[in-house]
Amino acid sequence: MKTLINYRFIFLIIVSVIFLSMNVQNAYAQEPKKNTVRLKADYVKTMNKEVAFNLRASSKVDGSNIDVPDIELTVFNEYNDEKVKLGSTITDSNGKGTFVVNDLSLIKPDSTGLYNISVSFKGNDAFKRASKSLSYKDASIEARIITEDSIHYITATLKDAATDSVLPDQYLNVQVERLFKSLRIGEEFNTTDENGTIIVPIEEGIPGVDGILTFEVVLKDSDDYGTVKALVSAPLGVPVVDESTFDQRTMWSPKKQNTIVLVNIS
Amino acid sequence: MEENNKNSRRKFLDKGLKLGLATAIGGMAISKISKLNAKSNTNTGELVELMTTDGTLIQVDASEIVEVVSTHNKENGYNVREGIPNRKFVMVVDLAKCKNALKCQQACNKGHYITGDNAWLKVYKMQESKETAPYWMPTQCQHCDEPACVTVCPVDATFKRKDGIVLIDNERCIGCRFCMAACPYSTRVFNWSEPEQPEIAKDAEYTPDYCGSPSVKGTVDKCDFCPHQIVKNELPFCVTACPNGVFYFGDKYEDTVTNGEETLRFSKLLKDKFGYRLLEGLGTEPSVYYLPPVDRLVNFEDGLEEFTEFQSVEKPEES
Amino acid sequence: MKTHETLIKDLAPTKFTKLGVIWTSFLVIVVVIGAIAYVDQLIKGQVVTNMRDYALWGIYISNFVFFVATSFVGSVTVAILRLTHNSWRTPLVRIAEIITLAAITMAGITIMIDMARPDRLLNLFIHARIQSPITWDVIIIPTFLTVSLLLLYFPLLPDFAILKNHFKTDSPKMSKLYGMLSLNWTGSDKQKNIQTKSIKIVALLILPVGLILQTIDAWLFSTTYRIGWDSTNFAPYFISGAFVAGTGALVTVIYVVRRVKKLENYITDFHFDKLGKLLSLACIIYLYFNINEYLIPFFTAKQAEMTHLDSLLFGHYAPLFWFVTIGGLIVPIIVLFFKKGRKPASMFAIGLIVVIASWWKRYVIVTPTLLHPFLPIQGVPESWREYSPSVHEWLITFATLAMCLLIITILVRYLPVIPIQRTAEERDELKTAKTTES
Repeated sequence: MKTLINYRFIFLIIVSVIFLSMNVQNAYAQEPKKNTVRLKADYVKTMNKEVAFNLRASSKVDGSNIDVPDIELTVFNEYNDEKVKLGSTITDSNGKGTFVVNDLSLIKPDSTGLYNISVSFKGNDAFKRASKSLSYKDASIEARIITEDSIHYITATLKDAATDSVLPDQYLNVQVERLFKSLRIGEEFNTTDENGTIIVPIEEGIPGVDGILTFEVVLKDSDDYGTVKALVSAPLGVPVVDESTFDQRTMWSPKKQNTIVLVNIS
Repeated sequence: MEENNKNSRRKFLDKGLKLGLATAIGGMAISKISKLNAKSNTNTGELVELMTTDGTLIQVDASEIVEVVSTHNKENGYNVREGIPNRKFVMVVDLAKCKNALKCQQACNKGHYITGDNAWLKVYKMQESKETAPYWMPTQCQHCDEPACVTVCPVDATFKRKDGIVLIDNERCIGCRFCMAACPYSTRVFNWSEPEQPEIAKDAEYTPDYCGSPSVKGTVDKCDFCPHQIVKNELPFCVTACPNGVFYFGDKYEDTVTNGEETLRFSKLLKDKFGYRLLEGLGTEPSVYYLPPVDRLVNFEDGLEEFTEFQSVEKPEES
Repeated sequence: MKTHETLIKDLAPTKFTKLGVIWTSFLVIVVVIGAIAYVDQLIKGQVVTNMRDYALWGIYISNFVFFVATSFVGSVTVAILRLTHNSWRTPLVRIAEIITLAAITMAGITIMIDMARPDRLLNLFIHARIQSPITWDVIIIPTFLTVSLLLLYFPLLPDFAILKNHFKTDSPKMSKLYGMLSLNWTGSDKQKNIQTKSIKIVALLILPVGLILQTIDAWLFSTTYRIGWDSTNFAPYFISGAFVAGTGALVTVIYVVRRVKKLENYITDFHFDKLGKLLSLACIIYLYFNINEYLIPFFTAKQAEMTHLDSLLFGHYAPLFWFVTIGGLIVPIIVLFFKKGRKPASMFAIGLIVVIASWWKRYVIVTPTLLHPFLPIQGVPESWREYSPSVHEWLITFATLAMCLLIITILVRYLPVIPIQRTAEERDELKTAKTTES
């Protein structure tokens, strides 16, 4: 009888020792080293259209910078001591994400007319939490096309939207929208005059699909106002003519073009 | 009597066989066409409302509507065999800036999962003659406007699109390699064995406008001018990767090319810097222009460090 | 009638001798080994060959070109000799047709071996592009095969009828088979009429079809920009090359068949003499085209041409080039100039050299050009700058050659190699002519 109880007792002790040691090991395995994430946020406003926040997440892993894909970044609007969530986006394979706001009234400024935005990442198994904040004031650009002495010009006025006052001595870029990057027309830097206005002549002979060109007037990467873009379209371009031989019967055309030849042979 | 008929039948057979073979091929081709152009000739009187490209609504008789049989390639909202409408893609390579950094080749190899022994984009060490200066020349498929490779393909596996891009349908290619023999720029590579690509490429759904994703054993591959990037409004891998801004890419109809940093008028660039094309005398009309290596910004010798005469694809380290 | 009986006995197919069995078994073994190598190629891909992105066509293609060239022999013997009223061709035509059939069949098979995706063979028909020289090839090869088959078959009808009677007692099964194949040939005037007309049409057809076949084969190369291929000379160059290869093959096979079947009475020294003169003519014409192709470019010495020709004549390919030119062309011309050189045994040796040189000549045409592209060969492994066939390629190539010989062997075994009916008629005519004379 005594030996039986002894065996059971010893068995229990062995099992609990094993159990405990496994737990201890687990506890040790629960704390890997997490990497820091650096967030970058740029603000781009397109007049009469939308506001976009271009976000980028990167991290320094093993000494080199890599993009962090597939993480959720949440965008908040901070005003009056409130933090309102605007939405979130997930970074793509290059660590980039774009958060677009269509209705500007959703973002509220603080009492000084400054818009405060913060972007945060709540962290996951591999990366620590991170956040980045940016502030900007709202600017507006009004662009239109005028014609004088049969020369076409683009004119644009830059204003601070909150105070509705013009902004002189700012650099604006004027470019025409192209497939990949926009093509600059006019000078590299067009300075706004005392009325916050620039005027740039449009050169002749710029091709466009159906002759339509979309011009962009851009305030690029301003410290106070971010990037502001105004678009204006006009049929001032040379219409594009398709010169491809695709529909012709040539030596390199696909087979459906040459059936008649074949039928003639047979 | 019997023999009579048999002999004359045999004569007829002989002529008929020749006729039949050619007609069979023609017939199959015709049947393909009629599939593509299923059109009813009678006016049904039924009107359908359609919108034209500039936004106006029109009424069209239902019989006028031709059903286009979309090939298996209606990815990204456009017909992969026809191409992106109203575009003609060109590339300008500024030889004055190239110093054989090979970042273009590495990006192309990575982006297209190239794991063979021959890269699609190779930077040649060129020297026309002993007295003329050596230079580095990145070369990939020239997407010729009169492509010799397309002309000789017996099965319509390689094709030229409206937007100028020449692509390969790896599901139709029979591996005869005639296109490789015909190409004077030696830009096509062949998958002699099953390509050892990463899972992401092997599992991808095949489409001709993303060459290499996946590569198919026994077929031909080559530079595709990255239509898979173009539809995202992004530049080809080589253009973005070059640290020296050597590659400019754009739409000839728009007359604009960009290397990511500078955006220029294409015609002006060619005029100012004397753009020329390779092997112009052969009449292939390539879509890649070269700017001569004058007023060089780099030393030719600096590129010799990276020059690997017998290798163009980095192999993974053997563990 | 007595002479006819001996005639029939001499020319009728006989059972394989021991040598025949050994020969056939050997060929079958080679074919099987090649088939195994081919299956391996299908599984692993063409990486088992030594073809790579620069030497993208190797001995599979040069083997294919060789078969196409050899198949020209039918056009030569049947059509050209017929048009020029050379009646001595009679005992040779059937063997010529057999070689043609075997060669063109193997050409069709060999080209499919070079296709890396034979599972997509039907694409050549469903999606055919008429602009492509390969499509022209796909049309012309079956056409030529058909015409050759008919050209072999039509004259066989009376012979099959004769054989049906000949084998009635000894092997009734064979007799029945021959009977079926003879399509109830009775020799009536009406049948003879149709047969003569049919043969005339097909014999007339085979010359243009044969010429077109050789031309299209040449255009597979000369429709590219490559130096060494982009030559306006190529089509007639290939036609005359086919003339040489075909006649050389004919001489070799005739000699062997004559020995094995003891046909010395039918294929005499006279025939070999005539064949020798024909081969000599072929070689002279081919030499003329070779001079145009390889010697004249030295005059303008264009850089690209010189790179190519230097490597052929003085460089890496020089031993091969001079072997095929001197051994395959000049030596035959010289030897065949003498009557002694046109004796059967000598003819066999010359024919053999001509055939081997023809095979290697096609290699010299196909691969060196590919290794001299316009842009320098860089960025690829050093071994890609050269090409020498791999074990797989050799095994498969030997298998195709063995299969060609196998087809010839089997046809020679079961068909009368000399047209019985026609020989009988000619002898009768000769007899009547002699009797009327005397």
